[in-house]
Amino acid sequence: MKKKNSVFLIITIPAFLLFFIFHSYPALQGIFYSFTDWKGYGDWNFVGLKNYLNVFKDGRAGDAYLFTFKFAIVSTILVNIISLLVAIGLNSKIKFHKTLRAIYFLPYILSILIVGFIFNFIFAHFLPQIGDAFGWEFLTRNILGNPDLAWIGIVIVAVWQAVSFNTILYLAGLVTISEDLYEAASIDGAGVWTKFWKITFPLIAPFFTINMVLSLKNFLMVFDQIVALTGGGPGKSTESISLLIYRGGFEGGEFAYQSANAVIYFIVIIVFSIIQLKFLNKREVEN
Amino acid sequence: MFKKMTAGVMALTLGASLLAGCSSGGADDGKVTLELFSNKVESIDTYKSLIKEFEAQNPDIKIKLDAPPEAETVLKTRLTKNDLPDIMSIAGNATYGELGRAGVLEDFSGIDLTKTVQPSYIDMVNRLVGPEGEGTYGLPYATNANAVIYNKAKFEEHGLEVPATWDEFIASLEKVKAAGDTPIYFTLKDAWTGMIAWNSLGANVAGEDFAEKKNAGEATFVENYDEVADKMATLVQYGHKDNMGVAYGDGNNAFANGKSVFYLQGNWAIPEILKANPEMELGVFPMPVTNDPEQNKLVSGVDVLLAVSEETEHNEEAMKFVEFMMTKETAQKYIDEQKAFSAIEGVYQENPVFEGIKANFETGAITSFPDHYYPAGMGAENLVQEFLIKKDKEKFLKKMDSEWEKVQNR
Repeated sequence: MKKKNSVFLIITIPAFLLFFIFHSYPALQGIFYSFTDWKGYGDWNFVGLKNYLNVFKDGRAGDAYLFTFKFAIVSTILVNIISLLVAIGLNSKIKFHKTLRAIYFLPYILSILIVGFIFNFIFAHFLPQIGDAFGWEFLTRNILGNPDLAWIGIVIVAVWQAVSFNTILYLAGLVTISEDLYEAASIDGAGVWTKFWKITFPLIAPFFTINMVLSLKNFLMVFDQIVALTGGGPGKSTESISLLIYRGGFEGGEFAYQSANAVIYFIVIIVFSIIQLKFLNKREVEN
Repeated sequence: MFKKMTAGVMALTLGASLLAGCSSGGADDGKVTLELFSNKVESIDTYKSLIKEFEAQNPDIKIKLDAPPEAETVLKTRLTKNDLPDIMSIAGNATYGELGRAGVLEDFSGIDLTKTVQPSYIDMVNRLVGPEGEGTYGLPYATNANAVIYNKAKFEEHGLEVPATWDEFIASLEKVKAAGDTPIYFTLKDAWTGMIAWNSLGANVAGEDFAEKKNAGEATFVENYDEVADKMATLVQYGHKDNMGVAYGDGNNAFANGKSVFYLQGNWAIPEILKANPEMELGVFPMPVTNDPEQNKLVSGVDVLLAVSEETEHNEEAMKFVEFMMTKETAQKYIDEQKAFSAIEGVYQENPVFEGIKANFETGAITSFPDHYYPAGMGAENLVQEFLIKKDKEKFLKKMDSEWEKVQNR
């Protein structure tokens, strides 16, 4: 028995080493450099908490936080509503439901950058043409060029792609619910609406939790979609925190400063995930 | 059991290090392999043919070309790893200034090659490094120009003449607009395209040494860029209906297909426009920013400079390649293919398209890109883009000042 344990221990060592070298160590390094004035190369000095204080004074970081949270909250809600609806539809006994499942999963396989470029084309050429043809004034301009609407374009693309993965998770949840429950409910005279709120929704609560947490976390780290669609523009209206950290850190020579920003953001994401888990888990237990 | 496992792990790591050893290359077959890093995707083919020529002349040197996308970011990451390429062909902008100050590039000050370059360009790159680094760490090679490109057929159709003053320029824009045509095709979805006009205006109105004065506390955007902002706002009025929604690539196509009379771009856009419409007849002129034709200078920057890593093991071979590039014949070949201009004295771009700005190069009526001297972290182009949407001049200029100071204080 003892020998077996040590074997398992040894098996974990390579994974642990790889994880530590390529993940934990750079992360720790980043935290370390956030207390310096390092530019990414050359000499550096300790500057204490100066970088952190500057982040709080930085209006640009503030705007990026506002945009990111607005985007993440709206997208999370939309993704969860749409993917739950799609999952319920795909779970029912309709024709071609297996083929349809494959089709609905397709967006997830495509690279975000490719999806971004396709949508870029749609927003820049296809929609304005429709607008021109039907005389709809609001559609005749590229919405990605409008600082008040550009974020909606990004929400559309992000949601379109994210729905596929969340649908799969909801589907996995739906198949765990036994048919008997629905039959019993039907005998008691429950309608579709009652069945959903009293049976389906409570029973997939764990899946709801995981989907909410995962999608909020993913949307808070939004990066690729923005690079492909607007590059943070027009102006700075769609500059997310990840984009700001990347731009400032690698292109702007503010490595240490943006490391501090990244550490703060890391803490913010953890706090939000924990709050969400606590709140949603409580709901699960009550049911 | 344990022994076997460790042996396995050892073998794996050994294998990995062997693989790594292979990829770093070296001089094992008597040949020296040099890495040439280029920040321009557009010049890959030109470089490839030049390298072939060089390798034929120097059979013991092999040049490996590396031209990745997002080149500046890649270069900065490699700087962090202390793994700079042997030879670098990069733009004369803020990134070059940083590299120069970091002391990782070979100092060319005083060597004979610097004497073949037009002094104004040497001065331009020296100012990028600033007094902290003092030295010439890159040899200016190819240069570019910010211009007003115009569609010759449409130009004649509207009965226009090349304007020499700002008022004349605005009058011709007005004339085109009155005739129901689009004067300028803006592509402001890509924020950097707004900087073309900004740089022409800024260089001529606020002066070449704005950045130095600003850092010394003697100049501010609020005081010196007021006129620039006004003129920017004026220009955007002569755009099309979706100025903010069209990107650079689409703009090139639209202009090539006669969607507007003028196009504010650099010489680098011309090959792209001709690709979309090979038949098109184009002309260029420097944007007349003031009402005194004597004072209007062409904005031209160092598009490509050649630098050699301080730490390269093959300095002699690397210099050989640089010398090869700097010969008049190679330089001429490069600018002919790239539709660029040469920093080397006596090498001129003879393409008829550039007739309108040729005089500027010959008489030296050129000035540098102001934004190359802005701190890289301030993201000026997005601020300018925001201004062109909101048109809130006072707030915008104050923000430019505060962002600059904020970045400098980090």
